[in-house]
Amino acid sequence: MSTVAGHAPSFPSRREVIEHVRALGREVVAVMPIHYPRAMLRAHRLHPIEIWGPPRVPRVEGSRHFQAYTCDIVVKATSFVRSGGIAGTKAILVPHTCDALQGMASVLGDFLHPEQRVLTLYLPRGRRTSDRDFLREELQRLGAKLSEVSGHQPSRADWMEAFEAEDAADAALADLYRRRERLAVSDRHFYQVIRAREYLTAEQFCEAATAVPEGNRPRTGVGLMISGIVAEPLELFDQIEALGAHIVGDDLACGFRRVYSTSMRNDPFERSASRLLKGPPDPTCGTPVRDRIEALQTRMRALGARGLLVYDPKFCEPELFDVPLLRKHLHEAGFPVLHVEFEMGETLPHQTLSRIEAFVETLS
Amino acid sequence: MTGREALPHYVESTRLQHFVNYEVVGKSALRVQRWRDQWKLATRRPRPDSPLSPPLRCVAYMKEIMSRHYLEGRYAAGVRKVAWVTSGAPTEPLQALGYFLVYPENHAALCGVRRKAQSIAEEAEHAGWSRDICSYARTDIGSMLSGKTPAGRLPRPDVLVCCTNICQTVLHWYRVLADYFGCPLVLIDTPFLFHEAHEHEVAYVKRQIEDMICVAEEIAGKSLHEKRFQDVMANARRGAELWLEILNRSQHRPAPMTAFDGFIHMGPIVDMRGEAVVVAYYERMLAELDERIDRGIGAIKNERYRVLWDNLPIWFKIGDLSKWLAERGVNVVASTYTYAWGELAPMIDPDHPLDSMARVYLHPILNRSTGHKLESMKRMVDEFELDGVILHSDRSCKPYSLGQIDQRDRLVKKLGVPALLLEADHNDPRDYAEEQGSNRLEAFVETMEARA
Ligand code: SF4
Ligand code: SF4
Repeated sequence: MSTVAGHAPSFPSRREVIEHVRALGREVVAVMPIHYPRAMLRAHRLHPIEIWGPPRVPRVEGSRHFQAYTCDIVVKATSFVRSGGIAGTKAILVPHTCDALQGMASVLGDFLHPEQRVLTLYLPRGRRTSDRDFLREELQRLGAKLSEVSGHQPSRADWMEAFEAEDAADAALADLYRRRERLAVSDRHFYQVIRAREYLTAEQFCEAATAVPEGNRPRTGVGLMISGIVAEPLELFDQIEALGAHIVGDDLACGFRRVYSTSMRNDPFERSASRLLKGPPDPTCGTPVRDRIEALQTRMRALGARGLLVYDPKFCEPELFDVPLLRKHLHEAGFPVLHVEFEMGETLPHQTLSRIEAFVETLS
Repeated sequence: MTGREALPHYVESTRLQHFVNYEVVGKSALRVQRWRDQWKLATRRPRPDSPLSPPLRCVAYMKEIMSRHYLEGRYAAGVRKVAWVTSGAPTEPLQALGYFLVYPENHAALCGVRRKAQSIAEEAEHAGWSRDICSYARTDIGSMLSGKTPAGRLPRPDVLVCCTNICQTVLHWYRVLADYFGCPLVLIDTPFLFHEAHEHEVAYVKRQIEDMICVAEEIAGKSLHEKRFQDVMANARRGAELWLEILNRSQHRPAPMTAFDGFIHMGPIVDMRGEAVVVAYYERMLAELDERIDRGIGAIKNERYRVLWDNLPIWFKIGDLSKWLAERGVNVVASTYTYAWGELAPMIDPDHPLDSMARVYLHPILNRSTGHKLESMKRMVDEFELDGVILHSDRSCKPYSLGQIDQRDRLVKKLGVPALLLEADHNDPRDYAEEQGSNRLEAFVETMEARA
């Protein structure tokens, strides 16, 4: 695993990870965004590999099932599933993140019938006691399904081992964010490590995170906060740096929104529920707009961000509703906001770049 | 409160306005308007060139009821507590507590029918809301920001009640409203049912309804009266039963009403369920439909094909579409959308209000799987003896629309029923391509003709 400053980090490939976890006696489950109970999967001898698109997959096959006004994450993931992209996995877990993923889970289960089991998880949109109690029982229901998939009923020791490993990986993720200023790596490199959590095992991720070198890598230009669901393609970060800016922090669903607080409750389902409900603000979890704005302001001040880049896949309703209020309130607080919608692909459209360039110029 | 002297001046004046403008002048004026409408309907000469039969006479009453509701809304603030609620929200306890209820979705639909939705939605778009969000939300946010509304004025909410049993969109939308109005937002989160409801899901919804009642009682400054609550529940059940009976009358040939009539006449069950006036209105409507059936009168004069409509209507096109289809002998006799407010009637149990509400509000068609919707459509094709299905692919409404491509495919391939996916939007005319829509509808009618 290479982590030389300035070079791309190298991780095991997804295929290697799959072989590795199989050798450990775990089966693989494909998982759609955003939030799900990682330790629960592990305790059931299952390993999650997440699907965020993927960007390189064309929409064509998915478009046979979803209308043109459906986001790329859902359409491309459907293409991916239909073209055998998750062959060899035991199940696909679709957390209830939004109406689009709800539709995807339903269409998969009712009409497309992939060879994998289609598992769902309803994530409550509140943070009340009733929500926690419900989620606990919902996780119990999911747990029973996971046992059916893996044929394994976790023992107390399995649960302890799983929480220990996944909590450590969660902590490593949080620590990466805490240390960002001191890390001698580019934004692209940093986010490659962050996103490796989407498929590495907890141990592999911890190793990757600790391997990120610290040192003096002066970061010049305008500091930006980036928000949205997922920053694709990774070239985006190179281009932002080339434009004389850098990312000081994020509010991405694939990034900081999954920095959960650890829970120490005894009951494993309660513990998993508590973790999921203790993440940072996230519109897909029903966070009030003001809470999100306040959290963003506080972090932007602390990190020295000069503006906010909201970078969303097209047709993402949970994000779109917040944008005008983010813009208004953050602008009043002295933070300009640029909202860019993108179609997931392997290259960055010129128009997107020009808009970001103009934004950076106004902040310089 | 011990005496009227204790009321602040502005409360006195709003009460006075409510009394004079609504109770005395408004209600009387609307009654007179209804008489005039009735007279017009009774004396209007049938138009031989129209493919449609004359409208139902009861429409005059419906106009009165709905206008009265919106008129009261203008003067409700300060007199009654006001709740803005989603169309699938469990409103019976609020009714029983005397709240005035505003249904932003219904208001947006009103804007759509009056062809005002686009200009109002543009107010929201100018303020930054994307054209890719639900056009109901855009219409109402635009109305909230600009004050533009064909309803005169909407009262500010004291509380917002958002139930996710129709979509998650409403939660994002209501968070915007809560931010704007600075009032409490009560969330009733209803887990989506991919299969049958689990007990923990029912218990979760019940608990939230109980919590909602506590908040509503606190805001209203009074407790929920059990008997009153049961009465409201009984009215809700009876209203829903009658609505279901009304819709099922279209199983007759020729159908005495169209689904387009249903879209218009569903106003009372959506906006005022639980009120006695709804029961009285639907009894009247049912009687008139039975009279039509007895006399062999169909909603369209030459019913050749019977069709199902899936999804929301295209509000700004209702009149045109209904006429266009009728000219070709097509009667849209049923719709999955209007059914949603009737099909759960048997689940409402006034003796066990909270338990039954929890179940009812978990089960709307929009909170159920795409497979369940297909089964509902198949059942309706059978029961209503349908020749085809129009699936309105509504750009704004993802929860209703995602799944339609496969549903259409199954209807065509497994049931052999012609089915059309019609791309449009329920409230935004910019998303309906007139020529393309007509061509596709034309081809759909030809397919049915070829099979006849
Ligand atoms: S991009 Fe937005 S709409 Fe699409 S799956 Fe993610 S949260 Fe849902
Ligand atoms: S998304 Fe659909 S269900 Fe939700 S408010 Fe809009 S039209 Fe209604």
